[in-house]
Amino acid sequence: MKALMSLGALIGVAGLLLLGGMIFDVIPSTTVRLVEGYMPMQMLFELTCFVAGFAGLSYMMSVMGMPFPRFWQGIGFWAFILLYLKYRVYPPIPFSVRAMYGTVSLVAVFMWVSASEEDWKKFKQPIMNVLDAQTGLNRLLRYAYLVILPILIGGFSYNAMVPKSEEPIELRTVHPAPPASTKVHGKTYTLQTSQNPYRVNQEGKYDQEYTNANIVEQGMGRLMKPNANPWDDKNQGYLKYVREGGEIFFQNCHFCHGDNLNGRGLHAFAFNPIPANFTDPGTIAQLQETFIFWRVSKGGIGLPNEGFPWASVMPPWEQHLTVDEIWKVILFEYWHTGYYPRTWD
Amino acid sequence: MMDSITRKAGIAAVAAFGVVLVSGASYSTVSAQALPEGFKKGDLAPEPSAEMIEAGKRVYFTKCVWCHGVDGAGDGPGADRLWPRPRNFNQGTFKIRHTASGELPLFDAKKPIPGQNDLFETVTHGLPGSAMPPWEGILTEEQRLQVLSFVTTQLVKDRKFTDKQSETQTILELAAIKAKPATDESKKRGSELVVEKKCVECHGMEGRGDGNAFNLKDDWGFSIQPADWHKCWNFRGSRQDPYNVGNIFRTFSTGVNGTPMPSFADNTTVDERWDIANFVNSLCERDTLGNPLPIDPLTDKPKINFVVPSDLVEGEIPADIEHEAWKKAPKRYVAMGGQITHKPRNFVNRIDDIWVRSLYNDKSIAYLLEWDDRTKSVAEGKLPWAPTQVNIDIKEQDPKTGESESIAAHQNNYTVYNDAIAIETAVKWKELPAPIKPRYLFGTNDQFPVDIVKWEADGSLRAFKGTGWDKDFEERDNYEESMKLLKGEWKDGRWYVMIQRPLGNKKDQDYDEDTFFEMGQYIPTVFFAWDGHNGDAGRKMAVSAFFYTFMNPPIPRETYIYPAVIAVGVVLLEGWVLTRRANKKKGKTL
Repeated sequence: MKALMSLGALIGVAGLLLLGGMIFDVIPSTTVRLVEGYMPMQMLFELTCFVAGFAGLSYMMSVMGMPFPRFWQGIGFWAFILLYLKYRVYPPIPFSVRAMYGTVSLVAVFMWVSASEEDWKKFKQPIMNVLDAQTGLNRLLRYAYLVILPILIGGFSYNAMVPKSEEPIELRTVHPAPPASTKVHGKTYTLQTSQNPYRVNQEGKYDQEYTNANIVEQGMGRLMKPNANPWDDKNQGYLKYVREGGEIFFQNCHFCHGDNLNGRGLHAFAFNPIPANFTDPGTIAQLQETFIFWRVSKGGIGLPNEGFPWASVMPPWEQHLTVDEIWKVILFEYWHTGYYPRTWD
Repeated sequence: MMDSITRKAGIAAVAAFGVVLVSGASYSTVSAQALPEGFKKGDLAPEPSAEMIEAGKRVYFTKCVWCHGVDGAGDGPGADRLWPRPRNFNQGTFKIRHTASGELPLFDAKKPIPGQNDLFETVTHGLPGSAMPPWEGILTEEQRLQVLSFVTTQLVKDRKFTDKQSETQTILELAAIKAKPATDESKKRGSELVVEKKCVECHGMEGRGDGNAFNLKDDWGFSIQPADWHKCWNFRGSRQDPYNVGNIFRTFSTGVNGTPMPSFADNTTVDERWDIANFVNSLCERDTLGNPLPIDPLTDKPKINFVVPSDLVEGEIPADIEHEAWKKAPKRYVAMGGQITHKPRNFVNRIDDIWVRSLYNDKSIAYLLEWDDRTKSVAEGKLPWAPTQVNIDIKEQDPKTGESESIAAHQNNYTVYNDAIAIETAVKWKELPAPIKPRYLFGTNDQFPVDIVKWEADGSLRAFKGTGWDKDFEERDNYEESMKLLKGEWKDGRWYVMIQRPLGNKKDQDYDEDTFFEMGQYIPTVFFAWDGHNGDAGRKMAVSAFFYTFMNPPIPRETYIYPAVIAVGVVLLEGWVLTRRANKKKGKTL
C-alpha cells in the first residue's frame, strides 16, 4: 500500500513540476507534446495520473504527520482541473465549454467531500472556524474575507459588464448533407450509384479489395507497402492512377491541405475555416468517394448554408480539373492516408 | 531571357565551385588555430547502414518524391508552382547548417541530437516560408533518419558525406558559446555593425529584405530574396523557435549555402556576431510591451485574433501615425494567403501578412494598414483595363512547365502593375442572420453584395460594389468624394496606407451598396492585397479570411454602478451570515 502510494506521489510531483515548468516557460512548452489524433485519450491519461499523484501525495503527507486539510484538498483539486483545461489543452477550449467542465468537476468534488457525514464535517470545519473566529488568526482571516470578497465579486461583475470585442463563436457543419446527384462538366452523377472509375485492378476491373490491399500501411508514418510503389514504372491500374492523382494533388491541393494531407499547407494559416485534415479519422475516412467527388467538384461556393459557403476558399474544382483528374485525386487521398472509403453496404 | 538565366546559373555554379575549391584548399593547409572564432574541427559521420538506406527509400517515395522528384533534383510534380523551388539534393548544397560555409551539413544517422544533426532538424522542424512542413509527429524519429540516410547517400550525387579526401567538417560550437545578453548597448552596437558589414545592402535599411531585391540569384539561377528581419517566424532556420537569437547567430556564422548570404565567421568576432544577432532579433515584430508574439503551434505563425477593434477619438482622425491615438490603437495581425479559389490562382503570394489598426469618430472610420513589400510597384503608363474590370487577361501558372518556365524562374520578370490594397465589407449585413455573410471573394450576388474600397499605388482611392467573383465591379455614385486617403507612403520595404471612409447613414449614403458601420457590432471585413512586381492584378492577389471590424463603444455608466451595488449586496449578505452563525451558537433562532 505504502509503496503504491509513494509511487503515486512521485508521479504526481513529477507531473506537477513538468506541467508548471511548461506553463511558466521554465522548460520548453513542447517537452510533452499533445499528439494529433490522440489528444483526448492523452488528456484522460494525464488527468488519471494526476489523480493518482494527488491521492499518493495526500496519503504520504498524512503518514508523515502533516495531513492536508480536506477543505483545501477539494478546492485545490478543483482549481487544478480548471487551470489544466485552460493552459494545457491545445487548441484552446472555448470558455463556455470550460465552464461546463468546471461545473461538472465542482459537483464531483462536492460529492467526494460529502461522501460521508464525517468527511463533510471535516470539509466544512475550516469555514466554521473562520466564521466563529475563536483564534486571532481566524479573526484576521474573517476581516480579510469581509473586505476581499465584495471587492473580488464587484471586480468580476465589472469585468463581465465592460464591453468586449471577443470573437463571435460560429459553429459550422463540416459534412453537410449531400444532394442526391451532382452535375459536373455536363454529366449528371448520382451519388448513391457512382463509382470511382480508377479504383481498378491490373486488369482494369473495378476491384475494391485489390485497391484496399495496396494503400499505405496504417500506423506511424503511414508508409507505402514495400511492393506497392506508385512510382514503379511497370504499374498498371490502381497504383498508376494513384501516382497520377498524386501529381495533380501536389500541383493543386497541397497549398492548403498540406504535404501530408493534414490540412497544414503553405496557405493554410491564413484561412478560416482551416483546410480539412484528411489524416483525421473524422474526414474522408467517414465518407463515401462520391461525397468527396461532390465536395471537390463544387467547392466552398457549392456548399449549403450550414457549411458556410461564404467563408470557404475551397475552389469548385470543376473550374480547374477534368472529371478524370478529380477521381484520380480522390484515389490518391485515400491511398496516402491509408483509409478505405465508406461504401453503401 | 532564358538564355541569360541559364548563363547566369552557369557562372554562379562555376563561381560556387571555385569558392568550394579555394575554401577546401585553404582548410587543408591551415592549422587548427586559424579556424574562425567559435568553430572546431569535427569528424565526418560514418555511412548509414544499408538497411537504413533501403528503409529510407520507402519513406522518400511515399512522402518526399512529390516535390523533390525521383532523382532528388527538386523537380517533382509539385515543383513548378513553388517558389522557392524544392531543394535539388544532387549538389549537396544545404542552407541551414552548423558547419562552415560551403561544407556539407551535419548528418549522422545514429545521432538525432539537436545542434548536432542539421538535416535531421530541418526535416523535424520544416523550413517556414517554404512548402517544406515539419515532419515531427508524422514520421517517427527513426523514419526521419532513414529517409535522410537515403537522401544523403543516393540523391546527393556530386559530393560524398563520407569522403575524407574532399570533405571537411568545421563545426560551430553553438552550445559551448555563451550567449551575450540582449542589452541596449549590444543591440546598438549590432545596429551599427549591420551597416558596417553591409548587411543592409541586401536586407534593407530597416531590415525588411528590400535592398537589392532584384539582382540576387541562388546557385541554380533562380531569383532569391533577402530575409525580412521583422518576420522571424518565416526564417528558414527558425526551427519552430523564431524568437531564439541562437538561430540568427548560427545563420550569420555559417552563411546560407547556395545563396548570396555569406558566412561572417572570418570577419567578425563571436562578440560582434552576438551583437548583430541581438539587434536582428530585436527587430522581429513584438507586442506593445515588447514581448514576443504568441506563436500558434499548429501553424508556426503568430496567433490570429479575428476582431479588428476600432477606438473612438474626439474630433478629426489624426493622419499622423505617430499620434498618440494611433499608438494606443490595438494592432492586429492579418494573415494573407494566395487567392487559390478561382482562375487566375496565385500560388505564390509575396504579401503574407498585413498589420491593421483602426480609429473612428462620429462621422468616419479610418484603417491604418501596414505591410512589408520589398518593392514599390507603380505601373508604367495606363493599365490595359478599367479599374472596375475583374475578369482580366492574367495567365495562371501551368502545372508542369519544367524549371525554365516555372514560377521560380518568372520571379522579377513579370509585367509590373500597381501595388494595391482593398477592404471589403458586407453591405446590409444586419439583414443577414448571423453568421451568414456575402461570399468572401467579391460578394455573393446582387442580393448580397459587398462594399469594396480599393487603394492603388498610383494614388487612387476608389469605391466599388462587388456582386460575385466573376462579375466586374460596379462604381458607386459619388462615394469616392466622401472618402479620404490620409496616407499612402512606401518607405524602406513597407507600405503605410491610411484610409478614411464615412460610417454611413441612410440620409447621405446608399443603403444598397455602402456598408453602414455601427458601434458595438461585428462588421464582416476581408482584406485583399496586390504586389505589382508579382504581376498581381484582378483576381491574382493575396486574400485574408473573414475578420470583424468592431467599433468599441464608450463604457456605459451602468458598468460602474452595478458592480458597486453588487459589492454592497455582498457586504450585507456577509453581515447576515455572521449574525446567523453567532445567534445559532448562542442557541437563539431568528
